[in-house]
Amino acid sequence: MESGSIAATGFLGRFRLWSLIPLALLAAVVLAFAAGGDSLTGLVRDNPPAADQFDIRRVEFHPGKIEIRVTNPQPDDLTIGTVTVDDAIVSYELDGPATLGRLRSSTIVVPFEWVKDEPISVGVTSSTGIQTTTDITAAVETPTASARSFLGYGLIGLMVGVIPIALGLLWLPSLRRAAPQWLAAFMALTGGLLAFLALEALGEALDLQAALPGALGGPGLVLLGASISYLTLTFISHRFSAAEGSGGVVSGVALATLVAIGIGLHNFGEGLAIGSSFALGELALGAFLIVGFMVHNVTEGLGIATPIAEGGRVASLARLATLAIVAGAPAILGAWLGGFLTSDVLGVVFFAAAAGAALEVVVEVGRYVARRAPGGLTSGYVMGGFLTGVTVMYATGLLVG
Amino acid sequence: MTKKLSRKHFLAGAAPIVVAAPIARLGWQQNAEAAAPSATHLGHDDHHAKMGHAAMVGEMAPSIDRSVAIDKLLVPPKALPHQPGRVRAHELVAVDKVIEVAKGVTFPAWTYNGTAPGPVIRATEDDVLRVKFTNRGSHPHTIHFHGIHPSSMDGVFEIVEPGGSFAYEFNARPYGMHLYHCHATPLKKHIHKGLYGAFIVDPKQPRKPAQELVMVMNGFDTDGDGENNFYAVNGPAFYYARYPIVVQRSQTVRIYLANLTEFDPINSFHLHGEFFRYYPTGSSDQFEYTDTVMLCQGQRGIIEIDFHNKGLFMFHAHQSEFAELGWMGYFNVVD
Repeated sequence: MESGSIAATGFLGRFRLWSLIPLALLAAVVLAFAAGGDSLTGLVRDNPPAADQFDIRRVEFHPGKIEIRVTNPQPDDLTIGTVTVDDAIVSYELDGPATLGRLRSSTIVVPFEWVKDEPISVGVTSSTGIQTTTDITAAVETPTASARSFLGYGLIGLMVGVIPIALGLLWLPSLRRAAPQWLAAFMALTGGLLAFLALEALGEALDLQAALPGALGGPGLVLLGASISYLTLTFISHRFSAAEGSGGVVSGVALATLVAIGIGLHNFGEGLAIGSSFALGELALGAFLIVGFMVHNVTEGLGIATPIAEGGRVASLARLATLAIVAGAPAILGAWLGGFLTSDVLGVVFFAAAAGAALEVVVEVGRYVARRAPGGLTSGYVMGGFLTGVTVMYATGLLVG
Repeated sequence: MTKKLSRKHFLAGAAPIVVAAPIARLGWQQNAEAAAPSATHLGHDDHHAKMGHAAMVGEMAPSIDRSVAIDKLLVPPKALPHQPGRVRAHELVAVDKVIEVAKGVTFPAWTYNGTAPGPVIRATEDDVLRVKFTNRGSHPHTIHFHGIHPSSMDGVFEIVEPGGSFAYEFNARPYGMHLYHCHATPLKKHIHKGLYGAFIVDPKQPRKPAQELVMVMNGFDTDGDGENNFYAVNGPAFYYARYPIVVQRSQTVRIYLANLTEFDPINSFHLHGEFFRYYPTGSSDQFEYTDTVMLCQGQRGIIEIDFHNKGLFMFHAHQSEFAELGWMGYFNVVD
């Protein structure tokens, strides 16, 4: 016993020691390179000058003033020189430093009587004379965090998230009466709509990361977000199936819960996008668009209801309400965050997480259908259901397009 | 952009602005508090109200610190009486120099003697003008004077390489307000980089006494997109808004005005609350009584103002864009 533990310690000790050697050598090489300055690259040529472009992250309009949030996207320091509004130099105050290190931000506050609903451009010129401008289609007052706007964003999230899913869950009684092959078709439909959401979220995540400053973005960030959610849901589903003793296949309310989590992550991203676009005046959130989102998301309620119906067990009203909240309430959280705050990195991570989660649930649904449904994955009901799911999402998506 | 934005496009459109956790915001605020000596107190609305454009005068006008070199450009050397054959010697050195063209913004200029515009060159008609030019810049340059002179003194064919020098010598004529600039190619580059200045030739009969000023209208394209980012007279944006020019009401104010703005075909001068006599090219007694003149690139003239009133009077380009990008200043008329 004792000698064994000594051997283990010795082995671990040696292992740790050896593992440090590459790190120490790396540090030595880095130091040597840093000490050499530009001599190495100088063998080839001089480095090109820094672009000195700012990243204008967010422009907010408040009564009598404009707030411009800028970030330095480059490794070299970047200093704010002059600020222009509609190509005129304006006085400004800084909430933050004038000289920005890598990825650091400041907010420029410009006292300005802007004209409501008219296009406007703001520009920030670096101390080296490089001007970065951004055009705003229409100046609209940015909502500030108040009880009223908090309630407003909450209601928007409720309308596009919770309510349509709750309505979709009302299909449960009719699903219970459906024949097994039709239930399999609806399960496949759930898989189809989740596959649609996964691909859509993945596309958004990739688009968002492409707009990030180079150092922050990268498809790898999307992979990170997707992997985290995929593996987390895999872990949860294994716990569910172990608890049920169902041999690795999740079903019934447990599967419905997984579906709800996947949909919830997607709705969080959707809430973020709606909230921030609306706050920054980039989106006219009319009744038609809200109705469009509702119709689009009703299908998500159907997706949650189907595994419950398949499972055959009775689900309490409280359980159903919980599922609706898990799947829909993230839209409210997203709308709040999007409406009041800014971070593109989180936007990428959440859309990527939504993609990973939806994909994982597609896999779970697929395994379930393969084992339990009459005819398995190759039945016409299943194939038709899957394609119908994708088609329905696409068609209802046109309502918000 | 179509009104019917697709769901995808709308989401993608939200890309640059999506959203954060309170953590991110907290971190940013801490940075702001820790790092910034320039961070100012926000929410003082009365203070904000004073900062509008109309009040861009004195300390409210964003311009560079007071500069002796820039101040020197405003006041020409004294006119000398007519004396044919007298030698007027000047020395101009082309140097590359980073200059501050607006508050907090620098520009890698090419200059004569370290400023853009360069020094004022002045002679009386029939003086022998002798300008020793040395090129300490990184590119070939010349000096091309406007006026009447031999072809060999035109600054077009005698390109002066870096390290080289050249002596321009010719009789100063005709009288009037002229200018000089580099004529090496590419011309646009050599001029907008800062190689230009005022060249005054005084008439045989001296002009009547006045408070004399020189204003060379110019612009700076700091980001190389072929459009000026800043406009001004004699260099830095808003300089005379921050430091109004003090003039006596009892004395005529004479401005030697030239337009050396690159990229924009025309520039203009407009005076508030007063009219002035404008002598095109300053080469005759003909004048126009007006408050606004328009000058093409290279065009110039002499303005004479007899102020009727005391107080602050704005002057600026009547192209609002130029005015709001720095070409605006004030006379402070005093008794």
